Amino acid sequence: MQSHDLIIVGAGLAGMRAALEGVKAGIDVAIVTKIHPLRSHSCAAQGGINAAINPQDSRDSHAFDTVKGADYIGDEDAIELMCHEAPEAILEMDRMGTPFSRIEGGLIAQRAFGGASFNRTCYAADRTGQVLLHTLWEQLVKAQVKVYEECSVMRLVTDREQAIAGVVAYDIKTGAVFALRAKAVLMATGGYGRVFLSNTNATTNTGDGMALALRAGAPLADMEFVQFHPTGLRTSGVLVTEGARGEGGYLINALGERFMSRYAPNKLELASRDVVSRAEQTEIIEGRGINGAVFLDLRHLGADKILERLPQIRQLSLDLEGVDAIHAPIPIRPTAHYSMGGIRTDKYGASPLHGLFAAGEAACVSVHGANRLGGNSLLDTIVFGRITGSHCARFVKGEKLRDFAASEVAAVKGNLDTLKSRPDQGVRPIALHHRMAAAMNLHCGVFRTVEGMREGVSELPGLREDYQKIHLDDHADDFNIDLLRAVELGHLIDLAECIVRGALAREESRGAHSRIDFPERDDAVWRKHTLSHWDGAKGEVILSHEPVRTLGRAEYAPKVRTY
Amino acid sequence: MSAKHYTFRIQRNRKGPDGRIASRWVDYPVSATETTTILTLLEEIKGDQDGSLTFRQSCRSAICGSCAMKIGGRTRLACKTHVGSVANADGVVVVAPQANQPVLKDLAIDIGPFFERIHKIQPHLEDGPDTDAVLEQSAYDQVNHVTQCIMCGSCYSDCVMAEVTPEFIGPAALAKAFRFVSDPREGQKRRRLEQLSHPHMMWSCARCAMCVESCPKDVKPMEAIVKLRTRGLAKGLDAGPGPKHALAFHQDIQQTGNLNEFTLMMRTVGILGTLEELGTAFHLMKKWKIPSPLPHKSAGLAELAKIYEILEEHPLDVETKAKEVVPE
Ligand SMILES: Cc1cc2nc3c(=O)[nH]c(=O)nc-3n(C[C@H](O)[C@H](O)[C@H](O)COP(=O)(O)OP(=O)(O)OC[C@H]3O[C@@H](n4cnc5c(N)ncnc54)[C@H](O)[C@@H]3O)c2cc1C
Ligand code: FES
Repeated sequence: MQSHDLIIVGAGLAGMRAALEGVKAGIDVAIVTKIHPLRSHSCAAQGGINAAINPQDSRDSHAFDTVKGADYIGDEDAIELMCHEAPEAILEMDRMGTPFSRIEGGLIAQRAFGGASFNRTCYAADRTGQVLLHTLWEQLVKAQVKVYEECSVMRLVTDREQAIAGVVAYDIKTGAVFALRAKAVLMATGGYGRVFLSNTNATTNTGDGMALALRAGAPLADMEFVQFHPTGLRTSGVLVTEGARGEGGYLINALGERFMSRYAPNKLELASRDVVSRAEQTEIIEGRGINGAVFLDLRHLGADKILERLPQIRQLSLDLEGVDAIHAPIPIRPTAHYSMGGIRTDKYGASPLHGLFAAGEAACVSVHGANRLGGNSLLDTIVFGRITGSHCARFVKGEKLRDFAASEVAAVKGNLDTLKSRPDQGVRPIALHHRMAAAMNLHCGVFRTVEGMREGVSELPGLREDYQKIHLDDHADDFNIDLLRAVELGHLIDLAECIVRGALAREESRGAHSRIDFPERDDAVWRKHTLSHWDGAKGEVILSHEPVRTLGRAEYAPKVRTY
Repeated sequence: MSAKHYTFRIQRNRKGPDGRIASRWVDYPVSATETTTILTLLEEIKGDQDGSLTFRQSCRSAICGSCAMKIGGRTRLACKTHVGSVANADGVVVVAPQANQPVLKDLAIDIGPFFERIHKIQPHLEDGPDTDAVLEQSAYDQVNHVTQCIMCGSCYSDCVMAEVTPEFIGPAALAKAFRFVSDPREGQKRRRLEQLSHPHMMWSCARCAMCVESCPKDVKPMEAIVKLRTRGLAKGLDAGPGPKHALAFHQDIQQTGNLNEFTLMMRTVGILGTLEELGTAFHLMKKWKIPSPLPHKSAGLAELAKIYEILEEHPLDVETKAKEVVPE
């Protein structure tokens, strides 16, 4: 059986940044990733990454904006840590070779982003995530980190004492199922956008790490907080960066009105994402949209600025929507984008399950609380990738390899064989996925009602039952994407359950969670985290709650959030 | 826009028990508007018609580099290619895996050999003596196009040189190398250029510009290759047939305004090399294709001298007049 000190699952920004820390500390670290590192969805981040690097800005102001943006449910110790580490984290990426855009004199350029009181979003044109991802990959190659490429982790294995013993992985290229023992496992598997029908995420963003952790006995936190991005393209959901509004883009309705003046008179288009998404949805519901969309208007910026600062956006709108942003407004709508929730950790990335860590979008540290600010999640990956990586390195030094039962591998093989050999009972995986994702959009979207969410919960047993009936066309061992997607669908259903149950329980409106029947924030009762646990006996998700980690600073005391 | 009927003619590849790939073509009918992407339709076929159809994809937005495949004879990203732009007159869209690389299954290739080539150029900044202190936007402007590379492999799949010489490092790796050679923070520029002067590296490109046309991200690999060569020569790295050929070419044009093709060969590969090519020479002679051995001068040499003067005073980095990448 192969073994390593630390196994990192995922080669996005969080996973790769953590791996470099492991190498620096001299431990044996390996990455397992279901797609080549450069294909990780971090590459799709367009707008930028926040850090108070300008002498006129301050780390405290960044922390304050984040506490407020999180609608007072972010953990303040983690938020301060992130904002204080941010400038050094960016400069370090710069030294590694990231080609950030520059201003005169060679300083890193920064742009305006929603919910921020200073222009503190560093960027590389409109492909910040791509250049960061390529830079970290370059460093990973340099450090010669062992990477199990195109291998999907299928199970987290614990020993009799409920401590992490390793993982079972599936080599997509060959179909081989194999064990990897480790003293610690770090989940950096990204988000679960595919739970929703309309989303900005990659098709590989199926929240595997969260679902595996849940089933292994680690709690997930705040799963009801799903960020709907205000500017997903109408047809595909593909993202148009907030940077487009940061550069001065307008939001207009079918009548050509800049409607944000009615919802956020000061910040207008640059109010926090939850505020803008609700405004758009209201315009659409009240009949001032066209085909379920409102518009992002860049025309007044002029061709030169669009081509220099937002070239990719113009190309995407041409490719996917057939609209040239230089001459016409782009049809957009709120679209599921980011998971504030994830595997519950402390500020060092440690989960309550001994030996399990998490970082990046898969984790809930929680720096984003009920609503993430744009540009803070790339930062989250880099800062907590580093912190968690070095924390893991310290952790494994005092640990031994745990017992890893051979039956774990057999169990995964058994599951895969069952999926492959099931007779055709008329349930195609894609249809089932569509059914679940459409229900989530309907019942757990930008606005939520008690009836809708109850309906959502009542659909769960049927989805689980039909999941046991899905039939695959591909029965081969090698490169069986049909099989992989079927496994991922199982994960998505678990996560959908956490989201809808958490949302139904939370009887208030906070950040991205917006209930028609409870339109106000209720700090007396609900200023706390939701934890989801898997109840194996019942075969369903159960909830508990946990206080927010506060620091007692006067400026962090909850206030009405206006922009 | 109304929907039209299309036929997807897809090369289905399966590995047999002997490890060899067996190919067959299978037709799938779909109906879609002209601007629907190929990826959307492949997903539809996989979802509704045959779940065993295998291809890579992830981001759906032309940034992760997963979905490059041969579509209508050229390598393109399935997620940014509109069906209407690649269907033939009968509405047939031909889809096959990337070329020049081993196939794994259906449209998925083994990406290993492609990335091995990238690894060869040490794809990371190195410390060393050549680092400049100040970083300015201008320094980035010149590498901007190469940092747009998403490593999708389109250029390599369409590279004619890779087709005949599998040892060739390929356009993507060379573009990546250019990114480091041009970065003010890089400390090993000279060592890199030395390595790039070895056989099958930057001098092996035939400058056909296929990579410039294939690239979905406007990276212009060939332009990077030409610039690398200029920088190599400027550092005095002129050993080997590649640089010799370029210098002889340069000398002829400067002195006579014409190429002396008769002696060019000798100056490029030397006497022994020329002897090896004698067979080809006889063949050419039979077809009356052997050039005259006598140098002759062009009219307008004075003007040419002026051009050279200007170029020496203001050395330009070469801009290829690559076709602008128009949206499909
Ligand atoms: C379109 C878009 C634009 C964005 N723009 C911005 C922005 O401008 N600024 C900002 O701050 N944030 C932005 N975000 C958010 C941010 O990009 C992501 O939250 C962040 O990049 C996530 O990084 P990660 O490392 O956690 O995960 P990812 O980059 O998603 O990587 C996940 C990794 O996990 C691996 N993996 C998953 N499951 C398994 C498994 N079962 N086995 C093995 N490996 C597995 C995958 O192979 C992959 O390598 C954007 C997000 C999207 C979708
Ligand atoms: S799916 Fe990512 S480039 Fe096409």
